Amino acid sequence: MRESRLNGLLFFLGLLLLWELAAQAGLMNPLIVPPLSRILRVFSELVWSGQIPLQVLTSMKRAAAGYVMAAIVFIPLGILMGLSQSVYRLLEVIVEMLRPVPPPVMIPVAMLFFGLEDEMKIFVIFFSCAWPILLNTLDGARNVDRVLLNTARTFGLSQWKIIWKVILPACSPQIVTGLKVSLPIMLILVVISEMVGSTDGIGYFILDSQRRFRVAQMYAGMFTLAILGYTLNQLFNFLYKLLMPWHVGLLRVKDGS
Amino acid sequence: MGWLAFSFLLLIWELGSRLNPALQPYLPPVSRILSTLGEVVLSGQIVSHLMITLSRFLQGYLLAASMAVILGTVLGYFRLAHSLFEAVIEFLRPMPSVAIIPVAVLLLGIGDAMIVAVTVYASLWPVLINTIDGVRHIERTLIDTGRTFGLNRRKILWQVVLPAAAPYIVTGLRISLSIALILVTTAEMVAGSKGLGFFILDEERSMNSSNMYAGVILVAVLGYLLNRLFLLCEAWAMNWRRGMLARESI
Repeated sequence: MRESRLNGLLFFLGLLLLWELAAQAGLMNPLIVPPLSRILRVFSELVWSGQIPLQVLTSMKRAAAGYVMAAIVFIPLGILMGLSQSVYRLLEVIVEMLRPVPPPVMIPVAMLFFGLEDEMKIFVIFFSCAWPILLNTLDGARNVDRVLLNTARTFGLSQWKIIWKVILPACSPQIVTGLKVSLPIMLILVVISEMVGSTDGIGYFILDSQRRFRVAQMYAGMFTLAILGYTLNQLFNFLYKLLMPWHVGLLRVKDGS
Repeated sequence: MGWLAFSFLLLIWELGSRLNPALQPYLPPVSRILSTLGEVVLSGQIVSHLMITLSRFLQGYLLAASMAVILGTVLGYFRLAHSLFEAVIEFLRPMPSVAIIPVAVLLLGIGDAMIVAVTVYASLWPVLINTIDGVRHIERTLIDTGRTFGLNRRKILWQVVLPAAAPYIVTGLRISLSIALILVTTAEMVAGSKGLGFFILDEERSMNSSNMYAGVILVAVLGYLLNRLFLLCEAWAMNWRRGMLARESI
C-alpha cells in the first residue's frame, strides 16, 4: 500500500519534471504552457506579496457567508419537511421547480438584483448549496427510527426536546453528507460568479490574468484553487471527526460486522 | 396542495409586480415572462441558442462518458496503472473544474472546441472515480468463477467486470449530467457569443429581464428533461439488475 503511494508520487513528480524539461527545451509555447519553475516562482512571489492571500480571503468570505446561510435556512427547513407531511406537500412542487435550474444560470438573475456586489455571489452560493443540504436533511429526518421517537414520547419529552435530543442527532450523518456535498459546489460557484461578475476574488484573478496574458500568474491562481479545495475538504473531515466522533465509531462498528 | 402553494406564489409575484411598476425591471409579471418565452421560442430567436447549447452539451458529455469509462476500467483493473495515476488524480480533483476555462481559452480560443473541452474535463471526474471504484470493488469470487469457466480476459471484461461495475458507473454518469450542463452554460457566459448561457447573460446586460427569465426557464426545462431522459435510459438499461435485486430479496 505504502509502496504503491510512493510509486504514484514518483510518477507524478516525473510528469512535472517532464513538463519543466519540455518547456525549457522550447517544445511548448511559453505563452500557453510556461515552465513549471516559473509558475512556482510567480506563485511564491504572489503569496509573499499578499496578493493571493488577499484574493483568497475575499472569495472565502463570500463563500462562507452563502454556505452558512444555506445551512442555517435549509437544515431546519429539511427537518420540518421531513417531520411534517403537510409542510412537505406544501413545498414539494416549489422545490422541484427550482432544483433543475443549473446554479450558474442564477448569476445573471442575481446580478439584476444585486449588481456586482458581494450579495450577488452570496445569493448564488446560497441558492446552489441549498439543494444538497435540504434534500439530505429531509431524507435523514424522514427516516429517523420510529422506535427512537416513540421511546422519547414515552419518556414524556416535549416536542422541542425530541427535535433537539433525538431527531437532530439521528439525522446528523445525512446533514453532514449534505454539507460535504455542498462544499465543492460552494467553491465552484464562488469562482464562476467572480469570473462572470466581479472585480476581485480568486476567480476574477485567474480570468483576469488570462486576459492580460500573464499566463504564469493564471496557473498560480489555479494552483491556489487546487490547494484551497484540498484544504477545505481536509478541514471539513477534521471538524467532522472532532465534532462527531461517535458517528465515526458507529461507522467503524458497522463496517466490522 | 403543493401545486396550490406554487400557484399562490406565482400569483403573489404577478400581483406584486403589476401593482409595483418600480419592481418591473427586475421582476416582470409572470404572465409577461411566459408570453415572452412563447414569443422567443416561436420566433426561433432562442431556438438556435438552445440547439447550440444542446449540441455542445451532448458532444462534451458523451465524449467524457466514453473516455472516463474506458480510462476508469483500465485504472480500476490494473493495479499498477492505478498506483501510478492516483497522485495525479488526487491533485487535479479538488481544483474546481471551472478554473480550467481560462486555460482552455488560451489553448483553443473562444468557440465550440473550448466549450466542449471544458465540459469534457469537468464531467470526466465523477464517471472516472466511480468507474474505478466500481471495478475495484468487484468480488474476487466473480472474476475467479469467470476464470474457472474458462473465460478469456476480454470476456471477463465484458461479461463480468463491466456489468458488476455498472451501478457505480451509472451513478457517476448521473452526477456528470448536471455538471456537464453547468459547465456548458458557465463557459458560454464567461467566453461565448452563442448559446443559452450567453443569451441569459446578454439579456441581463441589456436589461431585458423578461428575455432573461425566459432563458432561465428554458435552461431549467432542458435540465429537467435531460434528467428525465437519463432516468428512462437507466431504467431500461439496468432492468436486468432490478430483477436480480428482487430475486435476492426473496
